[in-house]
Amino acid sequence: MNNFRTPPTLATEALDMGYGTRRVIDGLDVMLPSAKVTAIVGPNGCGKSTLLAGLARLHKPDGGNVLLNGEDIQRLPSRQLATQLALLPQEAVAPEGLTVTELIRFGRQPHQGWLRQWSAEDQRVVQHALTAAGLENLADRPIDALSGGQRQRAWIAMTIAQQTPLLLLDEPTSALDLGHQIEVFELVRHLAGHGRTVVMVLHDLASACRYADHLIAMCDGKIIDQGAPATVVTPQLVRKLYQVDCTLLSDPDTGSPLLANVRRATEPA
Amino acid sequence: MTLRWLKPAFRKQGAAALVSKHSSIGIAAHDDVPVKPPSGYWRLGERSGSGVSILIERRAVWVNSVLILALVLAGITYLCLGSLTLGPREVISALAGQGDMMTGFMVQELRLPRLIAACLTGGAFALAGILMQTLARNRLATPGIIGIDNGATAFAVASVVGMSVSLAPSAMALTGAVTAAVLTFGLAAGSGTQGYRFIVAGIGVGAVFGAITQLLLARVAIDTANAAYPWTVGSLNARSGGSVQLLGIGLALGFVAALALARSLTVLRFSEATASGLGINTGARRIQILLLSVVLTALAVAVAGPVGMVGLIGPEIARALSTPRHVPVVAATLAGALVMVLADLAGRTLLAPIELPVGIVTAIIGGPWLLWILMRPQRSHA
Repeated sequence: MNNFRTPPTLATEALDMGYGTRRVIDGLDVMLPSAKVTAIVGPNGCGKSTLLAGLARLHKPDGGNVLLNGEDIQRLPSRQLATQLALLPQEAVAPEGLTVTELIRFGRQPHQGWLRQWSAEDQRVVQHALTAAGLENLADRPIDALSGGQRQRAWIAMTIAQQTPLLLLDEPTSALDLGHQIEVFELVRHLAGHGRTVVMVLHDLASACRYADHLIAMCDGKIIDQGAPATVVTPQLVRKLYQVDCTLLSDPDTGSPLLANVRRATEPA
Repeated sequence: MTLRWLKPAFRKQGAAALVSKHSSIGIAAHDDVPVKPPSGYWRLGERSGSGVSILIERRAVWVNSVLILALVLAGITYLCLGSLTLGPREVISALAGQGDMMTGFMVQELRLPRLIAACLTGGAFALAGILMQTLARNRLATPGIIGIDNGATAFAVASVVGMSVSLAPSAMALTGAVTAAVLTFGLAAGSGTQGYRFIVAGIGVGAVFGAITQLLLARVAIDTANAAYPWTVGSLNARSGGSVQLLGIGLALGFVAALALARSLTVLRFSEATASGLGINTGARRIQILLLSVVLTALAVAVAGPVGMVGLIGPEIARALSTPRHVPVVAATLAGALVMVLADLAGRTLLAPIELPVGIVTAIIGGPWLLWILMRPQRSHA
């Protein structure tokens, strides 16, 4: 059920985005690899969250297109888009008092209607989402009573219940401690393992190296480099993005790049 | 299904191994498993997944039944009490068209129309209130507080005191409500409807329209001013028949529209981004909800003037009784009607023979209520 046979494609074409007169993203072309975890990284204000908002149709482009399976997403009905693409905004907040299962059930919204409020499929998918996110024992716990990592997993479970081949996450670990971050990243890997295309904005380059298959490095609204973390991440790139020098090592267990001896750059990038 | 992703071995094997190892996990389709409604619901419909299935929340059925019962009891009490006290039996037989002429006239011609007006205005104010609160994601953002009531009042008063235009009060109230809503939303533009800028803009707009009302009253002959005065505080004593009928039709249609919007309303409590991600056309829904709230407010103001606080208290009671799973539009409407009936009953009887306008009663109850809302320690998610 969760192996999406025809993987969707999400791409942008000469995408311009901005706020008022301020241009944040400038003529950006990108193609997001299917059934992979893509991390968008870059310094604060580089346009990475704006790009995600554009991909999710939260923010209208000033020019160019976002294409889902070759179709302009501006032309898709809201509900249809929500069956293709799920979004977890940064620091999502639930109405007070909702339980984990009740939150997850909202993920079924795009599949439901007034006369079709609870089907066998809904029941199965919600149960599956609970299991996939490891939340069976917390199913009836109020969201407010969860730890940060559990709460974030509950939100991701809601997007799992949405059953979309595409999942966009905006800094899903930004407010979490290390243990809770790992909970979330392992869940993300699990989802990509089942054929979901995951795109996440991260500001932690180290996590991006460790958990992403594909890295998009952005600076000033443009893509500087993209590809597998091991090939993309170089001391030059790190300096360009963050104005820091570092020594790159290779993780002995996974082979992903590790940043060591990180310090402020001594010479301008 | 096991929780493989949590296995400790996973951490060492790394991402690449995980993908291949777990790609075979799917979940079997158990079509033979009977569909159980989520806890707290009844499910109406076929057993199979393809057909119609409707969920009914048990708590909502219980809450709405209790509110209807309370409203009926309050209504009978309302018909019993007054300058001439009647017994419940007399009232019921008078309603059925039996009993003596005098009682029949008292109940059917004097008290019943006013009771109906109280139910309709209370329901409309509270329904408009919960719609606006949900739209703004702020429980202070009722039409009364963001100036819409006052806008409707100023225009309705203008029509009564005979400015050059003299449309029917309902139409003028609607014009005023729309004007106030446009001003409030315009002044808060860019900052969205969340946060205090929207509320502050609304309070400002309300104050200006309140002043315009006072100015209009100050400039006309004292008799004309007296005729228009009830509108400015909120009273069920000065209603015109036509405006009550319009409100009745408007509330019936608005109630159905609110039920149709209920699923979207429930999702709109989340952030804009979350609601949009779940497939809600947020732009269109927000305009529909705003329009509905403004029209209901205007029609109710045309009947009873800006009766404060009902739009705040009704939804607050409904939410306190309901679960957080949904936006309780039905319970809010019923609770608003109940509050209005009780407030007008108190206004008619407490200081008899002096009659307190219902708007003053609701302000006396509502003021402390508002303070309590503002000063109560908030939990993390407002």
